[in-house]
Amino acid sequence: MTRRNRHHERAERDGEHDEPRVADGGHERPADTDGGHERSPTPLEDVGAVGRAFRVEELPPLSSVARWFVTTNHKDVGVLYVVTSLFFLVFGGVLALLMRAELWTPAADLLGANAYNQAVSIHGMVMVFWFLSPLAFGFANYMVPLQIGAEDLAFPRLNALSYWFYLFSGLLLGASFFQEGAFSGGWTMYAPLNVPVYTPELGATTTVLALLLFVASITVSSVNFLTTMHRMRAPGLTLRKLPLFTWTILLTVWMMLFAFAALGAALVILTSDRVLGTTYFAAETAGGSLLWAHLFWFFGHPEVYIVFFPALGVMAEIFQTFSGRRLVGRKWFILAMVLVALQSFAVWMHHMFLTSINLQVKTLFMITTIGISLPFDLMVFALIYTLVKGKVRFETPFLFAFGALALFILGGITGVFLGAVVLDYEFRGTYWVVAHFHYVMVGGVTGLVGGLYYWFPKMTGRMYDETLGKLHFALYFVGFNLLYFPMFVAWETPRRVFVYDVSLLPWHQLSTVGGFLLGASFLVMFYNLTRSLWAGDRVEGNPWDYTTTAEWAVPSPPPLENYPEGTPTYARGKLEFLAPSAVRSLGRTGADGGTDEASTPSTDGGTVVRDRSSAPVVPETDFDEGGHDEHHASHASPWPFVVGVAAFFALLGLSGVNEGGLYLVLLAVGLLLGTVGFVAFGLEPFHVPEMVAAERWPFAGVENAKLGVWIFLASDVVLFGAFVGSYAFIRVAFGWTAWEPVPHDPFPGLVNTYLLLTSSFAVVLALVAAKRRSRAGLVGSLVVTFLLGVAFLVNKAVEWQELFHEGLTLSTGVRTSTFYLTTGLHAAHVVVGLLILLYLIARALRGGYLDDDRPVEYFGLYWHFVDIVWLFLFPLFYIF
Amino acid sequence: MSRLRLYVAIYVVLFAFATMQVFVEGLGLSYWTGFWAVIGLSAVKALLVAGYYQHLRFEPRSLSYLMLVGLTAAVVLTAAAAYSIS
Amino acid sequence: MFELSSSVGSVTAVLQAGGDVRTPATEFEAIFRVFLVLGVLVGVVVLVYMTYNAVKFRAGGPNTAEGDADRPRLGELPTGSGGGRKLFLSFGLSAVIVLSLIAWTYSSLLYVEGDPPGDDALDVEVEGYQWGWAFTYPNGYTDSTLRVPADRPVRLTLTSRDVFHNFGVPELRVKADVIPGQETDAWFVAEEPGTHTINCYELCGAGHSYMSADLVVMEPDAYETWYAGTDNSSEGSEPDGNETTSANGTTTANATLAGVLP
Repeated sequence: MTRRNRHHERAERDGEHDEPRVADGGHERPADTDGGHERSPTPLEDVGAVGRAFRVEELPPLSSVARWFVTTNHKDVGVLYVVTSLFFLVFGGVLALLMRAELWTPAADLLGANAYNQAVSIHGMVMVFWFLSPLAFGFANYMVPLQIGAEDLAFPRLNALSYWFYLFSGLLLGASFFQEGAFSGGWTMYAPLNVPVYTPELGATTTVLALLLFVASITVSSVNFLTTMHRMRAPGLTLRKLPLFTWTILLTVWMMLFAFAALGAALVILTSDRVLGTTYFAAETAGGSLLWAHLFWFFGHPEVYIVFFPALGVMAEIFQTFSGRRLVGRKWFILAMVLVALQSFAVWMHHMFLTSINLQVKTLFMITTIGISLPFDLMVFALIYTLVKGKVRFETPFLFAFGALALFILGGITGVFLGAVVLDYEFRGTYWVVAHFHYVMVGGVTGLVGGLYYWFPKMTGRMYDETLGKLHFALYFVGFNLLYFPMFVAWETPRRVFVYDVSLLPWHQLSTVGGFLLGASFLVMFYNLTRSLWAGDRVEGNPWDYTTTAEWAVPSPPPLENYPEGTPTYARGKLEFLAPSAVRSLGRTGADGGTDEASTPSTDGGTVVRDRSSAPVVPETDFDEGGHDEHHASHASPWPFVVGVAAFFALLGLSGVNEGGLYLVLLAVGLLLGTVGFVAFGLEPFHVPEMVAAERWPFAGVENAKLGVWIFLASDVVLFGAFVGSYAFIRVAFGWTAWEPVPHDPFPGLVNTYLLLTSSFAVVLALVAAKRRSRAGLVGSLVVTFLLGVAFLVNKAVEWQELFHEGLTLSTGVRTSTFYLTTGLHAAHVVVGLLILLYLIARALRGGYLDDDRPVEYFGLYWHFVDIVWLFLFPLFYIF
Repeated sequence: MSRLRLYVAIYVVLFAFATMQVFVEGLGLSYWTGFWAVIGLSAVKALLVAGYYQHLRFEPRSLSYLMLVGLTAAVVLTAAAAYSIS
Repeated sequence: MFELSSSVGSVTAVLQAGGDVRTPATEFEAIFRVFLVLGVLVGVVVLVYMTYNAVKFRAGGPNTAEGDADRPRLGELPTGSGGGRKLFLSFGLSAVIVLSLIAWTYSSLLYVEGDPPGDDALDVEVEGYQWGWAFTYPNGYTDSTLRVPADRPVRLTLTSRDVFHNFGVPELRVKADVIPGQETDAWFVAEEPGTHTINCYELCGAGHSYMSADLVVMEPDAYETWYAGTDNSSEGSEPDGNETTSANGTTTANATLAGVLP
């Protein structure tokens, strides 16, 4: 098959061929696979001049630097994630080696206290946040759409936005070192060491803000992946039939959605304590220190599985491929993971066994903790039994996956020690814990490195060097055990110290040697992979025997829209590629048990910034007979990058906002750029075809963008829940009934309740008007909503003004802190709503939303949610 | 048209409940009875808004479960944390 | 003087138990040993078994079936490959081991969590601060070294003056979080006279690595003599030359940290 002009290919696909193609695509190896530069631009008829101005006409070729700044394609974004995460691996690794070098002798001779504590803290954060999950999500970005039969993620631009938030959050973290030093209170950031009284450096605030931006990245990403994985699976690919890697990612993103919302709440509160002067985590606040531990570990324990699950998925895929056996007890394996994912939210207090929590709660959490370890037993045995009667090939990916399992078993066994609370009491804060979680987490890294070798030929079309790969594994495995095993022997060393008992010196030196060996092993990998990128053997289709998953049925690397052979389907029990006309008939007949639906294309405007140009187009008319496919998918947008830059500036400015000067300028520039970026993002015509036929359980009948909004709102529930929970916790610690509401009387609050309820009603009227195609009604209702929202804010401002005059400010005490911050977060939601409203009103004035009222509907979902939150804040903060 | 009337009726109920909440204090109930009565009123209002204004009643049930999962997570955090120090 | 007579009673009670008094240290050692033996055993068995199978069924090996009948195929929908019974057997076995181990340790937990044996434990209040420890005795005397009599239970009530610390004496297996605004407790029995090191086990700032203190276990008689000579003159004796209390109440350890702090 020769390389062909995409126009021709498209025309041909659309025109003549109806029969399923033979899956010979695996042998096509175009050297240049992007094809984007050959594309004709998308002329979208009703885009105004403004819209056109914001449009990137085409995706530059792979060789162009510009491509990497504008691409929204899931494979490009996947590559960006992988490369960036490996950069952070080096960053975190160098910090770790600095620590190990310091520990060569029991005295402080290299770094000194402050630098050592920064190295400890940022090493932990970089590895857990900026390396582990992003590497896994590089794979997920690349492989999940391919494995489920989608052409891209549901919201490609939001996917690019996630990446840019991720990159810039990492750069922000780097910047914090240059603002008097980064955060030095450990990756767990225990209170009250995390407040400025004890860590006054500006850089510490920047570290917190960097994490907050990372949380934003994860949240956007979770919404995107959940929508994609629930609604864009090829026909026949029910949830139970999903490949194991995809399964682990599905569970990971579900956990991320809720866990990171809790972390987000914790970080917003911490930022407020650091920048605005609230006193949640101050040493004087009753329960403040414990509150941080609760919030952090409510996130932190699921986080352990969040970073480990993708590795488990990679291991499962590699075990199957390289043993030539299907996973033993697959159904139970999946069930075990589901149980772990659910239960992960009910074990967090085992990190707090030595705090002042009561014995009943300790017992309860001891039981749930032991309970959650059992499903892992099952998974380990399932992997081991898969080897039996296999045809095991010890190639590099398998060596890493096999090594990962061995390391994980050791990590698991030493974890059972910690499950016995009496032992946990003694291990708390010692190297036993350090060794244990490195065996588990870096065990996970081992699996992911296996994934890197496994998918390298898929992502590059070139094979890595097998000998160097095996050498990497040998060095890695020896280095790993030399590094971490001595820590079990020297377990009585307290964590995060650089002076230790001289009797432990040999073990720490052994450990340091292992650390450098482990680091050096990665040099072998970087050399191998970089060299193979140019000089590796070309991969003829599928390099591995016994793969099953769909990414191996397309060329390596896959072309821009993934499936040159036609649309993938499992409707007849195995993977086939259908020509477009066959797909059209599928759409019409609603094949496959009603799981598909005639659907409409959508933009990925996220919530409500949908452009009218993406008005519903029936799929049948989506294929242009003239051969210049007007509605083909868009793959390029500069705005995610712009918004990412804006976030970087704005947060860097925020870190020093109390210093004034340059920081204020940065903040202003960031906010301005962000506004421009978001508006342009909204106006830019960006076409994402929705799948004609797909498995959509359990969200059939909820259009992609609407599902995205709802999933986001679910995470917002946890965000507000954590705020209200924090308030309740501190109030319990203070003495519930001894606590008086901050406002003297509930009436300003009642007035605001009336205002918000009425504005909710006005949004309902707006939607009714849009459905009746009444422009005046629509604009009028939206304007009324806007005015009511403004009135809400004005009323609140007046109320706050009075309270300030009485000396009740944010930093008066935790009672006022909780009041201002919780209702302030709500007010911020109102402000965001008002900004969106301005956008809606501007477009409605020009006749928008009469043909497609969905943006108004989705805005309503958000606005009503904000209303509902107030319905609870009002009694909690004004009446009782 | 009937749908619009429904929305209006719900609005009236919401307005009335909000007003009632402020006056529960004057009923002479014990602190916790009053507290749960007011929170109960808020819950009913929230259900009305979610069920009709956000039309969850007319959406696939899975969306309601999605929101319930989020709510459960928040309640578990709040309840277990508060219990741990009481 | 009441203090003295009751403590003599306690010493006898402990000695009558024949040196086998249950302390957090003995509980820990007993459980740790069992876990270590079982852990090594299980680890070795599982690792050997998985390696054995991987090698036994290596491609081209004598035990490996030729041909690709019933091997996975590209594009197939996934199915499990059986083996459920064996899986559940191993799973059940491991579950029983883990559950019984934990259940067995629970009584130990209750013991450690409960009050120390005897009714005359020495009560000491511990306050952690950046970066040192202050120990206050029942008579109000405060010191930066913890002196306790041998063979008498000591009950600690701990809190923090500033940030989150963790008090631990590794040799006596006693540990507790030290949290501002919260009180935690722990108890221990030091059986032999001698000196132990107290460490901080929670990162608490620049001086964390140096936040240690001495625990001096004294002969009961010597302890009583020493204790009788103390009074509530805490101010003079709390800082033992290393610390100074600044005007705003925060304390810094100057001498030890001079080299490491900026």
